[in-house]
Amino acid sequence: MQAIEVSHLVKKFGDATAVNDISFSVAAGETFGFLGPNGAGKTTTIRMLTGISSPTSGMAKIFGHDIVHETVAARQSMGIVSETSNVYTDLTGWQNMMLAAQLYRIGRSERDKNATELLKRFELYERRGDDVHGYSKGMQRRLTIAMGLVNRPRLLFLDEPTSGLDVESNLIIRDMISDLIKEGVTVFLTTHNIEEANVLCDRVAIIEKGHIAAIDAPERLKKTIQSVQSIEVSFDSSSPTRLDELRQLSTVNNARKEGDKFKLFTEDPSAVIDGVMAYAHTHNTRVTSITTLGPSLEDVFVKLTGLHRSGGGITAID
Amino acid sequence: MVGLLPSINFIGFQDRLSRELIAAWAIAKKDVIIYYLRPGTIVGGVLFPLFMFLAFTAGKLGTATALIPGLVGITTLFSASSIEPVSIPIERRTATFDRLLAAPISLNALVLGESLSGLLYSVVIALIVVVAALLILATSIVSIFPILVGILLSSLCFATMGTLFAAYPTESPGDIISMVNVVRFPLIFISGVFIPLATLPAVGQMIAYVSPLTYANDLIQGGYNGKMTFNPFIDVAMLVVFILIFQLVANLLYKRFND
Ligand SMILES: Nc1ncnc2c1ncn2[C@@H]1O[C@H](COP(=O)(O)OP(=O)(O)OP(=O)(O)O)[C@@H](O)[C@H]1O
Ligand SMILES: [Mg+2]
Repeated sequence: MQAIEVSHLVKKFGDATAVNDISFSVAAGETFGFLGPNGAGKTTTIRMLTGISSPTSGMAKIFGHDIVHETVAARQSMGIVSETSNVYTDLTGWQNMMLAAQLYRIGRSERDKNATELLKRFELYERRGDDVHGYSKGMQRRLTIAMGLVNRPRLLFLDEPTSGLDVESNLIIRDMISDLIKEGVTVFLTTHNIEEANVLCDRVAIIEKGHIAAIDAPERLKKTIQSVQSIEVSFDSSSPTRLDELRQLSTVNNARKEGDKFKLFTEDPSAVIDGVMAYAHTHNTRVTSITTLGPSLEDVFVKLTGLHRSGGGITAID
Repeated sequence: MVGLLPSINFIGFQDRLSRELIAAWAIAKKDVIIYYLRPGTIVGGVLFPLFMFLAFTAGKLGTATALIPGLVGITTLFSASSIEPVSIPIERRTATFDRLLAAPISLNALVLGESLSGLLYSVVIALIVVVAALLILATSIVSIFPILVGILLSSLCFATMGTLFAAYPTESPGDIISMVNVVRFPLIFISGVFIPLATLPAVGQMIAYVSPLTYANDLIQGGYNGKMTFNPFIDVAMLVVFILIFQLVANLLYKRFND
């Protein structure tokens, strides 16, 4: 049985369509990434899949239970970690865990056991008796995730689990996700972070403006976009006109400068290598390093969502 | 509809009911910890009926004991409907409300859980008023039973009313409080609390019949002085009907606004 089955799901807010006819399914035990820019419809999709918000049309099933008509049954096996750390700051860490467990009707001894184990795993156990007011942002995030796991879900929804956190909190959370995956928990993860999707997910859906632009394994997604193979090259001298000159080389689709290296996009890497060598020769410079790179997931993402790169970060065209 | 009946599985139903009640209680308990176990809340709750009392007696203690039954009713009205209109918008702002909306429980359990905290708060404050009046003014009581039933039912009724108003999807408690006040203040004057029903104009009497406070006040007055306008069973039945109506409407509104 599929953990998640979505068919023709649509969500409109007034005239605006936040999610526009998406269909996909996630197998039990799979880690599925939803990758998209701000406002793409990631959170709206999770809200529909968890039954918080009702779809305008279309259908979603969780382990065979229709989320609209069998909401309670569908929710029993899921854990939800929302985008904001929605913890009760006036309660202690422990009280938050107990409340979360009681909402899933978990008996006292199991509740105590799960909460103790999770708080230890997230390095919050020592602070369990303190009001959450006093927790740092990373601690609140970890507590939110611990609360999402208190019912030992078979399916975990993670809405941007690591965004805005420091390296240490990030690592604790990613390790935990890897452990869950090993335990066979199905994970549905949304992220802006391409590296995260690449490392953690079996399959990735790229969502943009409510549409799924592509859906596949990260490696295969990269292979489908051969036009974004690239050559990375550096020279022993610099020249202000070099980037433009490299763009003029035949079979180079685009070029950009990254630190002291140039990245040249092409469908024909070997022709470009020849071209670069000839260029170095005629311009009296030497190539200090040259590497062929397959497309990165980021390149795929940029290509599919129509974003362009400025400097080091990604910015939306509009 | 007939087809539905045989499919009701009694064990499943019991199981479901106990699940819902446990969750409702967990929801109520969190409000108890967050909102009342603060020094200001109980004190503030008691100050309200005290000021009402001082305002209406205006220092003439001779009439004071006659005002106590009405005061108890008004106290339940105001304290029961003062928790959820504040707590729910705040929970929307902090997104903790999503947690409750996403739990494997029905909206009915959510509405009930939220209302339970208003109910408990109101019962505590009303009992403080009853006991204080007994000790300080030596109010006489004919029978405590209708007073307790009246306090309990009207507290649940007005707490559910508060939860109903809080369904309006705002993150600002002020929005809900002002809506609630539009209902609460007129109720004082048309429910026979200070102005006997018999002396109200015909229109006023008509409105009084659709005010839950009328029936709560009747029960409480009966307990204090033995004089009742209605049969006590009518009072109880009417309060139960109001509770069910508020619960149902609240349920529909939460569903409706739940986007
Ligand atoms: N309750 C709402 N009312 C109106 N519009 C909404 C509502 N919720 C979301 N939207 C709109 O739907 C679109 C998708 O929003 P959503 O929150 O799903 O995006 P997202 O992919 O999660 O973005 P982010 O990465 O910023 O979290 C946005 O244009 C947003 O403005
Ligand atoms: Mg989002």
